[in-house]
Amino acid sequence: MGLWRLLPFRKCSAAENMAVDEAVFRESIRGRNSPTLRFYGWRTPALSIGYFQEYEHEVDSEACKRFGIDFIRRPTGGKAVLHDRELTYAVIAGEDSPLFPPDILKTYRIISGCIAAGLATVGITVEMKDDGRAAAEDRLRSSCFSFPSRYELLAGGRKICGAAQMRSHGAFLQHGALLMGFDPVLTCAVMLPHGDIEMQARRLLNSVTTVGEQAGEAIGEERLCGALREGFERVLGVRFEEGTLTPEEEALKTELMAKKYTSDSWNREGGKTEWISGL
Amino acid sequence: MKVVPDDLLYSREHVWVRVEGALATIGITDYAQEKLGEILDLDLPEVDSDVERDEPFGSIESAKAVVELISPVSGVVINVNEDITDDIGIINSDPHDTGWMIIVEMDDQEELDDLLDTRGYQEFLIQETEVE
Repeated sequence: MGLWRLLPFRKCSAAENMAVDEAVFRESIRGRNSPTLRFYGWRTPALSIGYFQEYEHEVDSEACKRFGIDFIRRPTGGKAVLHDRELTYAVIAGEDSPLFPPDILKTYRIISGCIAAGLATVGITVEMKDDGRAAAEDRLRSSCFSFPSRYELLAGGRKICGAAQMRSHGAFLQHGALLMGFDPVLTCAVMLPHGDIEMQARRLLNSVTTVGEQAGEAIGEERLCGALREGFERVLGVRFEEGTLTPEEEALKTELMAKKYTSDSWNREGGKTEWISGL
Repeated sequence: MKVVPDDLLYSREHVWVRVEGALATIGITDYAQEKLGEILDLDLPEVDSDVERDEPFGSIESAKAVVELISPVSGVVINVNEDITDDIGIINSDPHDTGWMIIVEMDDQEELDDLLDTRGYQEFLIQETEVE
C-alpha cells in the first residue's frame, strides 16, 4: 500500500494557497516529495481565475474591492471561482506515480471517484458527468460553476465540485473546490460580464449545490476532510501520513508568493505577457 | 498507430524537432494533440527570448488543464508561428507541419543526441500506452 503525504486543512491567503500548490508541484517534478493530498480554505474570500482567462473581461475589480474579495490567478486552467465557504483540495503526484495515467481526463475521472467515495460516507450521492456541456448563452459563462465539465460531480443534477489541472514533465496538480456555502448574487457581482444579475444569480443557483444542502445537515471542514481522506484511501488503495512542507517546498513557496502570486503582472496579465521560468 | 513522420526527432515530452543546420523547428506530436483533445488556448515565448532544454517554453490549455510545453533544446527563439495564434485548431489538425510552434537557433546541437528517432519514439509510445 502506497504512502502519501497529507497536508491537513489550513486557511491561508489566496497567494499562499496558490504558492503552496505550485511549490509542491514543482518539487514533485524533481522527484523530491511524496504524492500529496492537501486540504485548505481561504482566510479572506477570493476570486480566482484560470491561467488563460482575461482579467479585464472576467473580473469586476471595483466590486471585489467593495465586497472585500481578494483576487488571484491560478496556475491551472478552467474558469473563475469565488472561494468563500468551501473546502479546497489539491492532489499532486509525479510521473512515477503508478496510480495515475499520463492523461488529463482519466486523472479527473480517478480523482472524482475518490471525491464521490468520500461524499458517500457523509450520505451524499453524486453522479459523474461522462460528457461536458457548454454553458447556455444566458448563463454566467466566466464561472466554473455555471456548467459541469467531463467527469465533474453533480448532486441532484447540480454541480457540487469543480476542478482544474496543471501538468508538466509527467507530473500533475489538480485542485478542486467543494462548496460548503454559496452566494450566487455575490458571485455574479464580482464576475464579468454582468447581465441581469438577479436572473444570472437565479440560473447559477439552479446549477450549483452545496455539501450541507445535499447532506441535509451542516458538515464542518474537519468531518468533510476525514470523509474525503477515506474516499482517497479506499479508491486509490493508499495510506496517508500527516506531514508538512519540506524545506525546499517552503523556500519555493516564499519565492513564488513574492515573485508571482502577489505580483500584478501575473495576477492581471498572466503568462501571456510574463513567462516565469527557472523556479 | 499514430502518425510519426520519419524526418523528425522526438522528445519524451511529446515534442518534435525538425533540424535544418543550427535551426530547430519545434511543435507537439500527433500523439500529444490527440491526448490533449481540443486545444483551447496557447502561450508561446516572444521572438528573441531564450529557451532552455527541459524547461518550459510555453503552455497550452485543454480540458481545464494547463500543460507546459517542454523545450527539447536550448537557444534563442527566432520565429513564432503567428498562424496558430490566429487559428489554434491548426495544432490539432496538422501538428507536424503547419502546426509548428517556434523556431530556435540552437546553442548546442549535441543536445539533439538525447532525442528519439521515429522508431525510438514509436517504442516509447507503446510503453506509455501500456501504463494506461
